[in-house]
Amino acid sequence: MSVAVEIRGVSKSFGDLQVVQRLDLDIAAGSFLSLVGPSGCGKSTLLRMIAGLEEPTAGTVTIGGASPAELRRTKRLAVVPQQPGLLPWRTVAENARLLLEINHRHQPSHHPDHLELLDEVGLTDFLGAYPHELSGGMRQRVALVRGFALGAPLVLMDEPFAALDEITRSEMRDLLARLLERHPATVVFVTHSISEAAFLSDRVLVFSPRPARVTADLEVALPRPRPPELEDTPAFVDVCADLRHRLHGAMYGATS
Amino acid sequence: MSNRPGSASRRRRVVAPIVGIFVFLAVWEGFVQLRDVRPFVLTAPSDILGYLGKAPGDFFAASLITTRHALVGFGGALVVALLLGSLLVASPFAERATQPVLVLIQVAPFVAYISSIVLWLGAGDPPAYFTTGLVCLPAFVFATVSGMRGADPASRELFASVDAPRWEVMWRLRLPSSMPSLFTTARYSIGLALIVSYLVEGSNFSDEGLGAIGKRAAASNVGDALWATVFCMVILGTLGLGLIALLERWLLHWHASQRAI
Repeated sequence: MSVAVEIRGVSKSFGDLQVVQRLDLDIAAGSFLSLVGPSGCGKSTLLRMIAGLEEPTAGTVTIGGASPAELRRTKRLAVVPQQPGLLPWRTVAENARLLLEINHRHQPSHHPDHLELLDEVGLTDFLGAYPHELSGGMRQRVALVRGFALGAPLVLMDEPFAALDEITRSEMRDLLARLLERHPATVVFVTHSISEAAFLSDRVLVFSPRPARVTADLEVALPRPRPPELEDTPAFVDVCADLRHRLHGAMYGATS
Repeated sequence: MSNRPGSASRRRRVVAPIVGIFVFLAVWEGFVQLRDVRPFVLTAPSDILGYLGKAPGDFFAASLITTRHALVGFGGALVVALLLGSLLVASPFAERATQPVLVLIQVAPFVAYISSIVLWLGAGDPPAYFTTGLVCLPAFVFATVSGMRGADPASRELFASVDAPRWEVMWRLRLPSSMPSLFTTARYSIGLALIVSYLVEGSNFSDEGLGAIGKRAAASNVGDALWATVFCMVILGTLGLGLIALLERWLLHWHASQRAI
């Protein structure tokens, strides 16, 4: 239940500003790919182009042989935005099934039950609560469930935990890892956090400052499943150090 | 005394306004009695109530008519504004084209052109409905457009990510997003609608509504009748505001404005 993504010669400019320059990229089906890079380097723009929310100036994005527009039309693509974007007039349960209700003609053939998902993320006691009654971490958990409730083969996440505090953040990270074990999908994940990228990913791309080019492409060979204790192992620390080194190289032009 | 946290705030909420009104009425009554003000200039509350008591049925019937005029105009403006506003949100060109016209309507002194509308639409209900609706329309359109425009960008993106059809974005996202600004406008417009209805009733050659009673009283210098219509208008306006506050509690319970700080 996951798809491969092919990106061919994709460029994007806003007026004179070149944000992404002739990018070629293959994302394996079922893999977790993180995009890491300096602020404003075009990672989010790339993600939005994969979602079809932004048209590339040149080049094509193909997802499992179909266009992003086709995937959006048939609801086979889930977006988890940086801000949870919950509708304040809907309860937790109603927000969790929002994407299932919208564009009702296209119902995914099989998708996880949104109430079971809410149970998995520990929100069963808050089904009838409104977003303003929740903490930031809980809101983002609802946003995760809302995305996974589609059962989509491709999940796109744009710094979903960026607004959370350190403790909540690592909680969310573990939660996402567990969710993915049960509901596998191809994931593209934009983040600023090196340890987050190392913990979650099969592969990490490090981007240069604008226009975005891939300066490093790393496989993260840590075993799965990945329990929270992984963070304290030397192997994990090594991966983080390597990533940090490459990111530093990408930002200040040092070769590695 | 009890230290329950609720009792002090309850005293403030319920008792304070009542005290305020009674003090106001007492000062008013005292001022009129002591200074011997002419009834047409200012009628004492006791005389207003006395006058109302002589023909309560007439004032009640007239109040119902004024309420009908105000509510039809107010409701009509709201419905037209929601339809028009949805169109304008979809088309920035149409919005720019419509905005000056709406501003003209909003700033034109309706008191001055009421008689023209009466001449055009004839006596009776139609000019009251039309003028009230017209005067209330611009503010409702502005509220609709700004509320719908202000829908959370993250939510809009989310709707786009599952290819939500336009009507669903409108119905599930933009319309609820416009509720807070619509309610703010409604609170201001309900009083306006009543006043416009009153003024049209006073100049549309019929003898229906509080405005007609007020006009006759003013023409024949009957102070207590005039002030009795003012009293009824104040009651109607307060009831209208109360009704909107109730609706707001029910429909906007999720909004920050409805929460204690």
